[in-house]
Amino acid sequence: MAPSSNPFIQPDGKKPTCMEMLQLIIDNQVTEEQRLYFSQHMGHCLPCYKKYNVDMAIKELLQSKCCGGNCPDDIVAEIKLKINSMTA
Amino acid sequence: MELEEAPRQHYTENEKQLIFNNEFMPHIHSMYNFGYRLTLDRDDAKDLVQDTYLKAYRFIESFQKGTNAKAWLFRILKNSFINDYRKKSKEPNKVDYQEVEAYYNSEEVDRLITPDLRVESLKDMMGDEISNALNSLDVDFRTVIILCDLEDFKYEEMAKILDIPIGTVRSRLHRARNLLKEKLKSYAKTMGYNNNA
Ligand SMILES: [Zn+2]
Repeated sequence: MAPSSNPFIQPDGKKPTCMEMLQLIIDNQVTEEQRLYFSQHMGHCLPCYKKYNVDMAIKELLQSKCCGGNCPDDIVAEIKLKINSMTA
Repeated sequence: MELEEAPRQHYTENEKQLIFNNEFMPHIHSMYNFGYRLTLDRDDAKDLVQDTYLKAYRFIESFQKGTNAKAWLFRILKNSFINDYRKKSKEPNKVDYQEVEAYYNSEEVDRLITPDLRVESLKDMMGDEISNALNSLDVDFRTVIILCDLEDFKYEEMAKILDIPIGTVRSRLHRARNLLKEKLKSYAKTMGYNNNA
């Protein structure tokens, strides 16, 4: 792939390493164009492909297990009560 | 209070209520989870959330209607945690971030990023492993994972919430992911996986 088509290239022309691209992908800080480019890149870069799969699996695990449920209703009620007493 | 540098707004009582209910309250579950993940205690999380919302209301005129309420609230909660809560607790001394930066820039990183934790072993972690692993991280590392992976904030937002440069956000996230992975790897080992294959 021609380097000029890499949407990860910085305005100063610096070419990103695999690790830098991967971090932006995992951190979800990319444009749709960058995401597409990276998924093509993974097709011919085994280290990226492997690390991407492990990192994404961890991220998904975090999202499914660590969101901690809802805030108890009594907190919401208490906050509203205190706010109302402030405005009264 | 050192919140956004937005010019002071003027709202009627009615407008304040509308902003509070429509822009602040929808984030309460995320805020509670953030509080819980910081303090690792449901009661402390409750206090932090309540405290944050009362502060948010009191300082509502330094919030510009329609802007990023979620980041604004997260920042208040984080500051309350540091100023009120953390001071009281006996949290051990913080990580040396200079060391972290040096670590991030070193060649050694490449050795550590070898994917030696396997997806199959993660698939079997259906219990509390991931939550325990996250909770075991130093609070500063835990925080960036929460903001990025659970709340999907952008680097710039995280930098504002945490009052640190974007470069530090990135290196801290990078380091946090490696530490988390190390933890999970040790769990995988006790579960009988051979991660060297
Ligand atoms: Zn690659």
